[in-house]
Amino acid sequence: MAYTELIKNFERVREYMRQFYLYGFKSREEYGIKSARSYDDDRRRIETWLGEYMGFKSGANGKNVFISIDSRAVKSNPLFKAWKTCSFTDKDITLHFIVLDILKNHPSGITTKDICDVIENDYMCCFDSPLSFDESTVRKKLKEYETQGIVTSRKDGKTVVYTICKDSTKVDADALAFFSESAPCGVIGSFIADKKTANNDNFAFKHHYITQTMDSEILAKLLCAIRDKRNVITINHSPRTENTVSIKSVPLKIFISTQNGRQYVMVYHYDFDRIMSYRLDYITDVELLDECENFDHYRNMLCRMEKHMWGVNATRHEEQLYHVEFTVSFAENEGFIYRRMMREKRCGNVELVGKGLCRFSADVYNEQELVPWIRTFAGRIVKISFTDKELEASFKEDIHSMYQMYCEEGGDNDAV
Amino acid sequence: MMLFNEIYSLYYKAVAKAIDSAIKGQLDDKTLRQIIRENAFCESELTIVPAIKEEKWQIICADGTTPIQNTPSIPLTNLEKSWLKAISLDKRIALFGVDFGLGDDVQPLFNQENIKYFDQYTDEDEYDNPEYQKHFKTILKAINDNHHPLQIYMRNPKGQSVRMNVIPRHLEYSHKDDKFRLITSGCAYGAVINLGRIQSCEYYYGRQLNRMADLAPENKCFCMELVDKRNALERVMMHFAHFEKQAEKLGDDRYKITVWYNKEDEGEIIIRILSFGPMVKVTEPCDLVERIKQRLKKQMRYL
Repeated sequence: MAYTELIKNFERVREYMRQFYLYGFKSREEYGIKSARSYDDDRRRIETWLGEYMGFKSGANGKNVFISIDSRAVKSNPLFKAWKTCSFTDKDITLHFIVLDILKNHPSGITTKDICDVIENDYMCCFDSPLSFDESTVRKKLKEYETQGIVTSRKDGKTVVYTICKDSTKVDADALAFFSESAPCGVIGSFIADKKTANNDNFAFKHHYITQTMDSEILAKLLCAIRDKRNVITINHSPRTENTVSIKSVPLKIFISTQNGRQYVMVYHYDFDRIMSYRLDYITDVELLDECENFDHYRNMLCRMEKHMWGVNATRHEEQLYHVEFTVSFAENEGFIYRRMMREKRCGNVELVGKGLCRFSADVYNEQELVPWIRTFAGRIVKISFTDKELEASFKEDIHSMYQMYCEEGGDNDAV
Repeated sequence: MMLFNEIYSLYYKAVAKAIDSAIKGQLDDKTLRQIIRENAFCESELTIVPAIKEEKWQIICADGTTPIQNTPSIPLTNLEKSWLKAISLDKRIALFGVDFGLGDDVQPLFNQENIKYFDQYTDEDEYDNPEYQKHFKTILKAINDNHHPLQIYMRNPKGQSVRMNVIPRHLEYSHKDDKFRLITSGCAYGAVINLGRIQSCEYYYGRQLNRMADLAPENKCFCMELVDKRNALERVMMHFAHFEKQAEKLGDDRYKITVWYNKEDEGEIIIRILSFGPMVKVTEPCDLVERIKQRLKKQMRYL
C-alpha cells in the first residue's frame, strides 16, 4: 500500500512515539518489528507531524530516532498532532462538508432522500466525474454524526428528518489554552481550539509530562466507566515481559503522578478479589460492560485504603500496615525544610521534635514506595526506621553505595 | 466515543479553511498551499493539492471555486461538550470567570473526585480567594492587552512588601506545585513572581519599561550514567521526560543521559537525582557533582 501521512490505527504509532520520546536510543533493529518498511513509514509520518522536535543520531547500533522537547518552552503540546491524523476516504471528506452545508441551508430539517437529491443536483454537477452517494451511505454518515452529537433527528410521519445541532457554547481562549495542557484528556480542548480558532500562548507549564496525551483514548473510556459505574475488560500489555492479558474489573479512580507523569487506574479485580492499580500506558484497549452494583462498596474500600497509600499500592488485607519513621535536621535559617516536609507528606504526619529537628511518620501498606522520597533528604537524615528491617538495611546500604560511588576514589562502579 | 476520528483531523481543518477562502473567491494555488502549510503537516500538500486538483474530493473545483455555500463549521461534539463540562467543575475555572453555556443535560467526562494527583504538593495557591482571582484576571487581561505593564506589590521570602513594575510575558503553571507564577521582563529585581505572594496588582502607567530586559534563566545541562537495574532506565527517563534530553547506550545495560535544565532549578534537580539512589551517577558538571558529594558526606556522618 502506498505511503500516506495519515493513519487508520493509532496503537502502533502510540508505542513508537512513546519510545522516541522517552528513550530515543534504539535503532530500527531493536524495536523487534516485523516489517522494516512499516517502521520506516511510521517514523516518516511522525517526522512530518513533529518536524522540528525530531532528531537523529548515529550510534554503534545504527541510526537512532528521538523526540526531544523541553515541555516548559512549548506553549502547546506538540504530541496532540498525533490525534489529528485519522485517515478517511474520498467519499468521507466529500460527504462531510457537503452534508453539513446542506443541513445549514435547511434549519428546519431535511430527509436523507432529499439530501441525496441536493447532493446530485446542486453539488456533484460542478464536477466532471461526479461521485455517487446512495441513501444508505448518507444515512450511515448521518447516524455517525448523530452519535457524535453533531446532528439530531426527529420523526416526521414515517420519515426521519435531520437537522444540524445548535452550538451555543461560549469558548474562552485563555481557559482552553490552560486546561488543554493541564486537565485530563486535554487533547479534546485542543480539538475545540482548532474549531474555534482559539489558540493562544499566554501559558507555559513546568513539570509538564506531555507524553500522557498518548493514553487519552484509554483514559477517556476509563473515566466514562467510572462515571457510569460500569465494569470493563481491559487488554493489558507488559513491554517488559511481552505478556498480554485480558482483565475484568471495575475501575474506581484514576491516580496521576505529577512527578513522573505516570497514570494509573485503580480497579477492583474480580479474580484476585482485591483493589489493584494498572498503568494506563500498558493498557491497549478498554471495553465497557454492564453496570457494577457494588461500585460504591469498592469505592469506599479504596477511600479507606487511601489513608495508608503513599503511591498506588493497595492491599488485600486492610489491617496489615508497616510503620515508617525518619527524622531530619535543619539549621535555624532552613525553615524551608520543615515547610517542604509539610507540603510533601501525603498520608504521613510531620512534627517538630526539637530545635531544628522534624520527624515524619506514616503507617502504609507498602514501605518501599517511600524510599525514593526519603532519599531526597540525604544529608539531613539523623534517624530512620522501617518495620521491614531488611528494607531499612537496604536503604542504608544504598546511601553507603552512593557515598562510595561519589566520594571514594575507585568506588564501586557497578553500583551506578 | 472516539478521540481518534477524522472530524478532528488537521486535513479537515485545512480543507475547511480552503473552502472558506474559495467561498470568498480568494482561493488560488498559492493560497491553497499556504493554508495547508499553516494548518496541516509539512508533507500534506503532496496529498491535499492533487486530491483537490484531480477532483477526488469533490468540495473544491480545480479552478478554486466551490459549490459549498456556508463557511464550514462543526458544532461541538458530545465528547467535546462533556470535556468542557468537566472543566467547568474544576476549582481553577473561577480564575477565568467564564460560563461555557452548557446545558444541564451535558454529562461531565469526569469530576474531581474521580481523579487523584497523589503526589501533588499540598500548599497550593488559594484559587477560592477573591483577591487571588482578581490578581489573576488583571494579569491575564494585561497579557492579552499587548503585555501592558503592571505595578505589583508582593511579599518577598523574608515577608517584606516590595514593589515591582513589570511587563507580564506569560503565566507558568506547575502541576506538581499546583501554583501559578508570572514570568515577566522589564524589572531589575527578578523575572518570576509567585501569584500566591502578590498583595496588589494594577496597570502601571509610569515611565516606559525596557521591554527587551528579559532575565532569561541560564540553561545548564548535566550528564548521568545509569545501569538498568530495578527498572532504573524507565523510571529515570519518565521522571526527566519533561526536559530536553538525550540518551545514549554505552553498552549492555549501561546508559548515558544528558538533561538540559534551568539553573534556577538546580536545588530541585539535586533532590530528584538523589531519589534514584545508587542507580544513577552524575558525571558532570563538576559543581553539581560536588554538591551531591557534600550531601552524602554529611549523611554518612549521621548513619
